[in-house]
Amino acid sequence: MSVQVAPSASLRSETRVPVPAGRRRLHVARRAAPALVTAIVLVQIYPLVWVFLTSLRPAGEFAAGNPFSLPTDLTLENYRRAWEMAPLPTFIINSLVVTVVSNVLIVGLGMMAAYALTVLGFRGSKVVLGLFLIGIIVPVHVALVPLFITYSRVGLLDTYQSMILPLAGFSLPMSVYLFSSFYSYIPRETYEAAELDGAGPYRIFLQITAPLSSNTVITVVFVNSIFIWNDFVFANTFVLSENLKTIPLGLQNYMGAMGSMDWTATFAAVCVTVTPLLLIFLVLNKAIIYGLESGATKG
Amino acid sequence: MKHTRWALAAAMALALSACNGAGAGGETDPSKVTGEIEPREVSWLLSRPADGAVIATIEEIAADYAEEHPGFSLNLITTPDRPSYLQKFETLATANKLPDFFDTDATPFADKLRQRGDMVDVEALLESLDMLDDYRPLALDYQRFDDGGLFMLPFEFEAEFFWYNTKLFEKAGVEVPATLDDLVDVCGPLRDAGVVPIALDGQDQWPLERYLSYYPFRLAGPDYVKELKKGEASITEEPGRAAAEWIYELGQAGCFPEGFSSTGYTDARDLFTTGKAAIYQIGTWELPTLAGPLPPETEGAVDYFTLPTVDGAVTDDNDYTVVSGIGTALSSRTFDPLVKDFVTYVLQEYPERYAAQGRFSPTTNVETTKPEGASPLYDKVVAELDNLGDETAMPWDTQLDPTSNTRLQQELTLLAQGEITAEEFLTIVDETIKENAE
Amino acid sequence: MLRTKQRTAVVVFLLPPLGLYLLAVVGPILYSLVLSLFEWDGLSDMRFVGLDNYRQMLFSDDIFWTATGHGLVYLAVSLFFQLVVALMLANLLTYISRGRELVKTVYLLPAIVSTVAIALMFRRIYSLEPLGLVNAALGAVGLDVLQRPFLSDLDTVLVAVSAPEGWRFAGLYMLILYAALIAVPKELEEAARLDGASEWRVFTQIRFPYIRPVFLTTAIMAATYSLRGFDIPYLLTNGGPGHASELLTTYMYKTAFTNTDFGYASTLSVFIVLQCIVAVALILGVRRTGRDAS
Repeated sequence: MSVQVAPSASLRSETRVPVPAGRRRLHVARRAAPALVTAIVLVQIYPLVWVFLTSLRPAGEFAAGNPFSLPTDLTLENYRRAWEMAPLPTFIINSLVVTVVSNVLIVGLGMMAAYALTVLGFRGSKVVLGLFLIGIIVPVHVALVPLFITYSRVGLLDTYQSMILPLAGFSLPMSVYLFSSFYSYIPRETYEAAELDGAGPYRIFLQITAPLSSNTVITVVFVNSIFIWNDFVFANTFVLSENLKTIPLGLQNYMGAMGSMDWTATFAAVCVTVTPLLLIFLVLNKAIIYGLESGATKG
Repeated sequence: MKHTRWALAAAMALALSACNGAGAGGETDPSKVTGEIEPREVSWLLSRPADGAVIATIEEIAADYAEEHPGFSLNLITTPDRPSYLQKFETLATANKLPDFFDTDATPFADKLRQRGDMVDVEALLESLDMLDDYRPLALDYQRFDDGGLFMLPFEFEAEFFWYNTKLFEKAGVEVPATLDDLVDVCGPLRDAGVVPIALDGQDQWPLERYLSYYPFRLAGPDYVKELKKGEASITEEPGRAAAEWIYELGQAGCFPEGFSSTGYTDARDLFTTGKAAIYQIGTWELPTLAGPLPPETEGAVDYFTLPTVDGAVTDDNDYTVVSGIGTALSSRTFDPLVKDFVTYVLQEYPERYAAQGRFSPTTNVETTKPEGASPLYDKVVAELDNLGDETAMPWDTQLDPTSNTRLQQELTLLAQGEITAEEFLTIVDETIKENAE
Repeated sequence: MLRTKQRTAVVVFLLPPLGLYLLAVVGPILYSLVLSLFEWDGLSDMRFVGLDNYRQMLFSDDIFWTATGHGLVYLAVSLFFQLVVALMLANLLTYISRGRELVKTVYLLPAIVSTVAIALMFRRIYSLEPLGLVNAALGAVGLDVLQRPFLSDLDTVLVAVSAPEGWRFAGLYMLILYAALIAVPKELEEAARLDGASEWRVFTQIRFPYIRPVFLTTAIMAATYSLRGFDIPYLLTNGGPGHASELLTTYMYKTAFTNTDFGYASTLSVFIVLQCIVAVALILGVRRTGRDAS
């Protein structure tokens, strides 16, 4: 899918109608834009601020007061409770393991498939691509019962693999799609030059295609990390032991009898558990945004 | 090991066959299990809060047991959120992977497990240990299947009351309702006084379903729901009709908060404890909150009344909803001398240690320690629990088949919101039950 | 360029990803297909019922059709946020000279907050008793008549559960669209402005046609993730009140794990998969026409 589409040729002649107000309108747009953008920024940042403030709010005040007002008292008590009630570091490590391994699989396998389908090409590659595309929108819940039954037969229940397999499998189609869109955009000449130098398909993949893909890799990793980091369904179905629980599952430890919830402690835990993702995001902010911008627009 | 696992994963494709490998169950008669105790890890799948008194007590007991039996350990797999728990429980049962202990109510699904021979006969176990008489009959009845079979052990004992705010009642000039219809009548004055009459957790749906069970329990006794679920009684008959009409009236009288269907458990409780709602129906498991330190709006103002009656009631005033919590079953497939010995030890130790934490034991052989700083309300409740009748209003959600129950809960919310009439409600629920009754 | 060496290469490169895909996605789908022909509660023996489940689904299950319709509304609302609002924001952003980096970062933040927290927050935002944010705001500007418990009102609940999903990931799609917008050659825009075109015209006649291919990619991503929507409706209302916010995914989940009717749940799965195939075909069709047009 190429960006380099020329605007329709008729446009220029069409816009040649003299409407002198154009310049002034641009100024109006320039002046209104900051105010609007600021308003929307507030809407976007609000939930994070709210979650953070709630985590510092005394539990009683959260229950009683307007939950949207500023806390009158700040307390770290919620964090202490959050830390005591659940092994947060274990949850974070588990989530990291699952997210990292899934991403390695999604990126590695996605690149390989796209390379085979788009760069190498073969008869029927379109059919295989179509097969992958179907997987893009299959809801993950379809797989729950069949996977569970199969896992229990082969002894895979309650392992990292049990979560990683479906998470990676269900993210693979989108990855294949993005990579192959990007690869179809790499000029043929790049490969032909390398082939003249005697490079085989493996060397071309490792030395040309893979390094060129870095922006798409970032797009794929970022989008998938969000979904995998937050996955609840697979973890809840396939994981039994406390020491394999991921964060979304672990957050349930703050649930009390009959559905009551220690919300302030939960939010303290949410703040703690969102930190790794947030840190990675802030550190790699520029790279992620750059990658998203160029990765997806070329794809 | 890692490699084999991945190889196994690859083999899964071959394993995709549709046959169901449900084998026969294990030994359900506990007396037949004898022999050497071989310590190992024992697992318990439970749906109880991780920091709750039950788990704390069990963990303590397990630690002591492990000291005497090196090699023993107890692995507690806890999923407090009930819907998530049920999903996990059912998938494990489907795959024949239930652990040594597992929590369940006496639901139709659990009954199927029992009939398959997956559960140890708990009544026989208690009998052989000479403990059967220690238990409060109501606590055991709550766990029984329809035919009286007892396959789950109770670990709690709680009664459900209507807690109310005396200050708000005074302000609105209303009295404690004596009949269910009186309950509708107090809503108007309370609304006029600017308070939410009844705090209701609509999100979890079981609380509203409790309200539906009240009229039939008073009019027709505890057997009505048992007949209903088998299709022997119809919900369109008088007890069911009265219940549906009553729920509709409660909704029309503005008894429940606007938008209750998305109010969560904690939100509902907070509505009451912070003095914004006047009445709150909940079990004594919330007693530590309600008799503990409260915000100024409710401090010293919390009291309770028990289930109001109706004209022509067949059950006594002191009969109402009394539960012994989700029960614990023993898997017959893994019931060995170790599990038998361990569960015996638990049953001996549990009541006293649990009661010491200020909670109510399902047995009568111990006295609950009053927690420090608890209000006089606590003593009142303790006395109330010794004055219970011999019938209990079973919660309907553990009785009906799951499909009917889901449909009923969904329609019930609409009924209370006034979106459908009692007639429509009854028709839909009647059809659904007829389709799904065994 | 298919030579023998490359044929092995194709196999080497394609086999691992295809293997994982078949194992984790296609296998379970086929399994569902088989299960959908049976009646099975997970415990008793499976009973072959042929096409009975399909007959029930298509002809006598009112909830199924309701949920299917809801899915379309859910998709429309999500796409409104993720495509229309996101495009508008991206376009606005190009007029800003300072703080773009900050804005871009902030837009992405809601995407990384845990779903549980998002759901809880929205429950309070929509609430009427106690007064939530939306209702408080409506009251403040004198629109008391519009105040309502959004998650309990049958007319508003579906849109109310769809909006958080749309809002949450709007930033992601905005970024992608923004990148495409700034790639539009400035000369084209300037020329149009010199000709007196309004900014709206610049947008509709130059910018949008230029970024159309990117817009389509974004549409595919947004549509596919929205069709998978489950967490937020499940956590916010669990499909209620009644079935007013039921989606096929929540309905299937409940059929399987609350009603333990695995056969019928599989039938619903199969329908969802079919729906997906149709959606992909449609999107690819649009893509092709788009290509032909340019």
